Amino acid sequence: MNPSANLVNAPMMPWYIAAAIGAAGLLLVMRPGRATIRQAGAVIGLAGFGMLLAFALKLAGGGTPAPSTPFLIAFAAVGIIGAVRVVTHPRPVFAAIYFILTVLAAAATFLVLDAEFLAFALIIVYAGAILITYLFVLMLAHQSPEDEAGRIGAEDYDRVPREPFVAVALGFFLLAALGSAIERAPEMALENASAAPARVLSRQAAALQAMPATMLAQAKAKEPTATSLARDAAGSASSSDGRTVQVRVNAEGGAIRAVSVDPAEAVSNVQVVGLDLVAKYPASLELAGVILLMAMFGAVVLARRQIELGEDERRKAAGLGGMVLDVPEHERGDA
Amino acid sequence: MTLLLAQTTQAMTQGVTIALALSAALFTVGLIGFLVRRNMILMFLCTELMLQAASIAFIAFGRMRGDTGGQVFVIFILTVAAAEAALALGLVVLLYRRRETLSAEAWQELHDS
Repeated sequence: MNPSANLVNAPMMPWYIAAAIGAAGLLLVMRPGRATIRQAGAVIGLAGFGMLLAFALKLAGGGTPAPSTPFLIAFAAVGIIGAVRVVTHPRPVFAAIYFILTVLAAAATFLVLDAEFLAFALIIVYAGAILITYLFVLMLAHQSPEDEAGRIGAEDYDRVPREPFVAVALGFFLLAALGSAIERAPEMALENASAAPARVLSRQAAALQAMPATMLAQAKAKEPTATSLARDAAGSASSSDGRTVQVRVNAEGGAIRAVSVDPAEAVSNVQVVGLDLVAKYPASLELAGVILLMAMFGAVVLARRQIELGEDERRKAAGLGGMVLDVPEHERGDA
Repeated sequence: MTLLLAQTTQAMTQGVTIALALSAALFTVGLIGFLVRRNMILMFLCTELMLQAASIAFIAFGRMRGDTGGQVFVIFILTVAAAEAALALGLVVLLYRRRETLSAEAWQELHDS
């Protein structure tokens, strides 16, 4: 077998080719100057991206696409187009707005991946707060220059990229490395995937057992006469077989009934994530609070305008009284 | 949730793989942008892009393993991103006041001015 055929048959080859095509497209899109070149670059880049996706799908084992797969592909396309525009748009404000597009696409991806709470948290925190801060600072610090005709242009440092070739080459190597990692991912996924739904359910069952009030509410939905959880000698009111949870409740007339609850329907994503956050990672939660507090202090210190105080003001600030006689403002003019 | 759980394992692998591919591509574009952009604010924006890519990877792997730890970690990523935005933008505004330009090249020589 000759080495070149070996190279083409190497499992990662399509990935490298797709990454290279995408990189070439990105390089063309970044070029300042003629719009036609940039459009050609966009087409080439999209082709490379399409190849990348096709290859990813092939890695996932092909077969019939899941109902969510077309949506995921569309979101991924929107996200990457937005990201490319963030990198290439000559006007910073538009770049920030394209970043919001990317955030929305990422949030949609989260939705498909069952992370409902984070999808909306991402939109609120990223698109709603962080990006608005960026936009504010951009508009505060920056005025786009106008040319003689009054058209709004772009600063040179926004229009002309710095070392595009080196950067794109580096990005290509990174993508190739990440790709080889992803190629191993489906094998791991297939090992885990068969067990994953069961594991999700058993985790949710455990979460349900850690939330007695929710458990009782769920049991009441099935058994309206339930008044309270009936705990056994060990203090447990429920048992789980990984699929359903048997909840024992005190029903009307003192009878103890067992109600089976589906944990997937009983606890929502928000409840599971919230319980995990508080019960499993409390120290990290506190640390996040400290980080935010310190960031706030830092921002206050940075934003404070540095004012050179004279000797007199300094004495006044220290509560010592001025060296000169304190004259009211309106009388100072004719003194 | 139940609907997705009922899907075949193959479908889940597809979703996770596409999400990982998106994550890799976003991270790469963010890195390229950080190197290519000369506007300080947009350089920070590109780091946010990379954080975003990392978040997607966390969620995807969490989904693959049936573990909510990935989602919890993304909450912390959001925290750090917010703190970073507050501090970085404060610094950028200070720098802008000194040189009246957002170009990172205005700060090539580091000396007390």
